[in-house]
Amino acid sequence: MSTTALSDAETAHDDHAHEHEHHHELPWYRKYVFSTDHKVIAKQFMLASLFFLFVGGAFALFIRWQLAYPGQPIPVIGSILPTTWVTEPGSGIITPEFYAQLLTMHGSIMIFFVVIPLALGMFGNFCIPLMIGTDDMALPRLNMWSFWLVPPAGLIMMSGFFTQTGYAAAGWTSYPPLSAVIQVPSFTVSGQTLWLISVFMVGFSSIMGSLNYITTVLNKRAKGMKLFDMPLTVWGLFITAIMAMLGTPVLAAGLAMLFMDNFLHTSFFLPDNLVTSSKYFGGGQPILFQHVFWFYSHPAVYIMILPLMGIVSDVLATFSRKPIYGYKAMVFAIAGIAFLGFIVWGHHMFQSGMNPLLGTTFMLSTIVIAVPSSIKIFNWLGTLWRGNIKFTAAMMNALAFVSMFIIGGLSGIFMASAPVDIYIHDTYFIVAHIHYVLFGGSLFGIFAGIYYWFPKMFGKMLNESWGRKHFYWSFITFNLTFFPMHILGLGGHMRRIYDPNVYDFLKGLGPINEFITISAIALGFSQLFFVFNILYSLKWGKKAPRNPWRANTLEWAAPAHPGHGNFDTDITVYRGPYEYSVDGRDVDYWPQWEPGASISVHHHTVAVTDGKDTRTFGAH
Amino acid sequence: MGGILKVFDMLVWFPENISTFGQELDNLFAIIYWVSVIIFFLTFGVMAYFLVKYRYRPGRKGYNYHGNNIVELTWTILPTILFAWIGLYSDDVWARTKYSSKVPQADVEILCLGRQFGWTFLYPGADGKFGRNAFTDRTARNLMSTTNIFGMDSTSADGMDDFVTENQFRVPVNSNVVIRGSSIDVLHSFFLPHARVKQDVIPGTWMAIWFNLFKTGDYELACAELCGSGHYSMRAEYKVVSLAEYDKWLDTKNAEVIGARQPQPTPTATADTATVASH
Repeated sequence: MSTTALSDAETAHDDHAHEHEHHHELPWYRKYVFSTDHKVIAKQFMLASLFFLFVGGAFALFIRWQLAYPGQPIPVIGSILPTTWVTEPGSGIITPEFYAQLLTMHGSIMIFFVVIPLALGMFGNFCIPLMIGTDDMALPRLNMWSFWLVPPAGLIMMSGFFTQTGYAAAGWTSYPPLSAVIQVPSFTVSGQTLWLISVFMVGFSSIMGSLNYITTVLNKRAKGMKLFDMPLTVWGLFITAIMAMLGTPVLAAGLAMLFMDNFLHTSFFLPDNLVTSSKYFGGGQPILFQHVFWFYSHPAVYIMILPLMGIVSDVLATFSRKPIYGYKAMVFAIAGIAFLGFIVWGHHMFQSGMNPLLGTTFMLSTIVIAVPSSIKIFNWLGTLWRGNIKFTAAMMNALAFVSMFIIGGLSGIFMASAPVDIYIHDTYFIVAHIHYVLFGGSLFGIFAGIYYWFPKMFGKMLNESWGRKHFYWSFITFNLTFFPMHILGLGGHMRRIYDPNVYDFLKGLGPINEFITISAIALGFSQLFFVFNILYSLKWGKKAPRNPWRANTLEWAAPAHPGHGNFDTDITVYRGPYEYSVDGRDVDYWPQWEPGASISVHHHTVAVTDGKDTRTFGAH
Repeated sequence: MGGILKVFDMLVWFPENISTFGQELDNLFAIIYWVSVIIFFLTFGVMAYFLVKYRYRPGRKGYNYHGNNIVELTWTILPTILFAWIGLYSDDVWARTKYSSKVPQADVEILCLGRQFGWTFLYPGADGKFGRNAFTDRTARNLMSTTNIFGMDSTSADGMDDFVTENQFRVPVNSNVVIRGSSIDVLHSFFLPHARVKQDVIPGTWMAIWFNLFKTGDYELACAELCGSGHYSMRAEYKVVSLAEYDKWLDTKNAEVIGARQPQPTPTATADTATVASH
């Protein structure tokens, strides 16, 4: 983040803060670098993850180039690529070895260093204390550490470049025996070894963050705020934190075992009688790793989307000027998805060789997830119904989330059905699905959240017109990039292949690959609108008022650009977060912190002035 | 109407199906696909309608309404019924194609090993029986090496006529083929796009992969699980031929095996060398 923005934070901290002169001035590195302020940590997560977003995106464009134009030199930068990446120095044609590293790093960076840190790290840190009306996290130092594990972890993963084998190259799923890399002697550090250490550290960061979120939500809610007075953003983050707490240690165990197989040549996952030149012990089972890995990584898919579901719900309600339809149903749906998320991991393994009887179990549990997911979709549509919908950049990104999630959800049913999965498993159909959910879903949700909370984060409004340009370009090029991947998948195009032209049955798909690549490049460059908008608005943006969207939740009670400690008034919560367009009010919103009585008549809230009737009904 | 539907018909992108259960899988795909198309247009239609109808108007006020349990219940139960039906129907097809108990009596049985980066097949030869090897006898796994990946015991009488093919195999049309698949190094996935077959093969475990193909011709086998930098090149070809042609081919192969064994003074010690003579 720019120093300007941060020093603004201090000035905007305003006169009020100076009343608390009992805390002495912190040195600069405690304010901007090793800060315990949840808002600064959120900005640090944002900066780090947006940086990695562009690294991961660049890797994706390399992959796309190779698929569309196999064996042709990369334009513009081809001649300056490192010699280990290309067939011969200066040729600009990437090698199959580097291609495997690219797809591994693209997936790993996007999942572990972009979407999870943005969804959980940035929004978790920024939203939870502000939206529950408290000064900071329950455990601020732990919080600081949860961020400061991420940059070293990123460096460690990226330094795979300097090892003899290059970056990790076993896919983001890192299935052994491939990921054990036993062709190199034990005690050799390969890119894969570094990958394992790095992901282990990120996992640790997740655990610390989640522990903090759970503690904060349970203990530090403002006076009067019941659990069912929390906005859905907080619910989403809270339930996600519980999932991360339960799932990540399992991943850590899997990574530790794989690390030992990789570095010490033990045999948790290595069976007997591998025909290999290197010595190892034998007697392990490769599929065990898949079970352990997906026991975390399937919930991780929901870790990457549940917080955004919450955020999108809040954005939809605010800009429709309506209560969220079926608030409690939404909470139960999030909880339902979270619970089911833990019993469906086997659907990644239908063709893995596990007993097909287990396939039946996992297929049925997976299909059940479609139910809470449809409940969410219908409730979002219900929220739009009879609203007064304002199409801000935040709202449009939130609507994109909903619509792309519908497509991603529907394409998920194909994979959930195990017999259909036989053919589409490990093809581009899966790639299309994951990108509809993680890019079309999570990333558009993240954009919505950034457009929505940017004023509170930096004290400046993001430019709406640039925001809209960013949205239109992203939304259109996103669909042009990822929708045709469904077609590739149906044609049988496998994932992770370096050159589709090797196969006769893929010959006809060349033009589609080319089309996708051109769209992907456009999609990549569309993100420059976003970067430009952020930089432009930080410098020249309109100064944000305290509550620019006229929203109800507690973060808008804080000063326009809150300093350490967040609030300048005592916060008491009087009602649920979604009392928009209440009858008997002059304005179409009714903040949670504003005193006043209401009654509930047939699912409508009506404000009452009668002093005798002091019953306060919430949003339910 | 038919013309309009054709625009949305993504099923035309499938490669031609040549396997008996393939049609069933494709039909199931089609059912889910058309259900999805309907749901897509319903939800997007409703959404677009709301977005236009309830767009911002200065005098308009949102409708403060918190939801209705009967509505919630309806849109919980209806999808549950729909998805439960899809689940149960899918399970039926899944059980028939993949359950171990449903693997049919083999007309042709072949062993297949994946390796970085290629596929090797072992046929039981003229006697239709495999000799002692890593599949038929667990203890023979100790014989596995880079030169004898199937761990074949050269002293085994049944194994004398077993022969190996590299990156190609042949199966007769309209026969139940059971392929016992495994790997010697990392995970691979045995993917026959036209036959709608996909099964990961795992070192240390033998998977039963079965199919019955009804159309003769030349087709391709691909690896569908990332197995290293050469993953993309792990291609093999297979021929589906008439039974007569298949028998003729077996005879030729048998002659080759016997031919390769002739000059050797002690036949028992030569099973290894014979099997190296591939296609």
